[in-house]
Amino acid sequence: MENVKKTGPEGLAGTDPESAFALLIEEQQRLVYAVALRLTGNTAAAEDITQETFIAAWRHIKDFRGESSLKTWLMRIAANKTRSYWRWKRLRSWVGLSDKGEDGEGTALEDLLPDDPAGRPEQAALAAELERRVQAAINALPPRQREVAVLRAQGLGMAEIGSALGMAEGTVKAHWFEARKKLGSSLGEYL
Amino acid sequence: MNDEKEEKLLSLLAARRGETFWRRQKAGILRAAVEERGPRRTWLLAPAAALAALLVLVLARGPRQPLPDEPQGVSAAFIEHLDLLADMDVLEAVSEEEL
Repeated sequence: MENVKKTGPEGLAGTDPESAFALLIEEQQRLVYAVALRLTGNTAAAEDITQETFIAAWRHIKDFRGESSLKTWLMRIAANKTRSYWRWKRLRSWVGLSDKGEDGEGTALEDLLPDDPAGRPEQAALAAELERRVQAAINALPPRQREVAVLRAQGLGMAEIGSALGMAEGTVKAHWFEARKKLGSSLGEYL
Repeated sequence: MNDEKEEKLLSLLAARRGETFWRRQKAGILRAAVEERGPRRTWLLAPAAALAALLVLVLARGPRQPLPDEPQGVSAAFIEHLDLLADMDVLEAVSEEEL
């Protein structure tokens, strides 16, 4: 993730705002999307969260104090937006407005896959099955362990995860220890 | 779990998408940034929505309607029925000899 350093506010100085924003998206969208997707298990919500994360970041870039890396800051925004998403889901469920399927809950096979998974249906089916198993294993984790595991998978260190999620580093390590054990058990055949 | 397995596990958690997807997403974000003043996704308003839902619940409980009064009029048939029951009580309380 070395390219992250390129798009710090100081790195964007002298670039016109639109180009700087485009560069920020180019470098970070994979991370933000992956976090949103794995934390929601919903492709449509992940796209919305990614979009809202970047717009919020750009709107508040002047407030970014550089105490953490830009990547950590973006991850924090994405994690907060994901928490908002779950609060909204719970609220809808509480008032009896179940929105199953409304916003892409039932993920289509093609949404789970790269554009051309080796161009062969059997490869596509295997990749889709793996994707479902991975998401199911993540969904089975308690929320904090899930957040830690997903950020860990994006290459964040323990201190960075702690900063993004507002946790002590020791707590992050404990959550990662538990999450790794459970994921290893669920996905053992792929390891 | 050893380091190699951990690396493999972390790679499994990645989101795999093709370049077309990333290009489309980037264009979508840039377009949304331009149209930022447009309507936002409703779930981003969750805190306000939660407050509104609570308010609705509180208002729905509101001042309770007084219970409707008991019917004032009693039919003659009902009184006769009560008299008959009273007679039955008396009859049951009296021994056969006394009758």
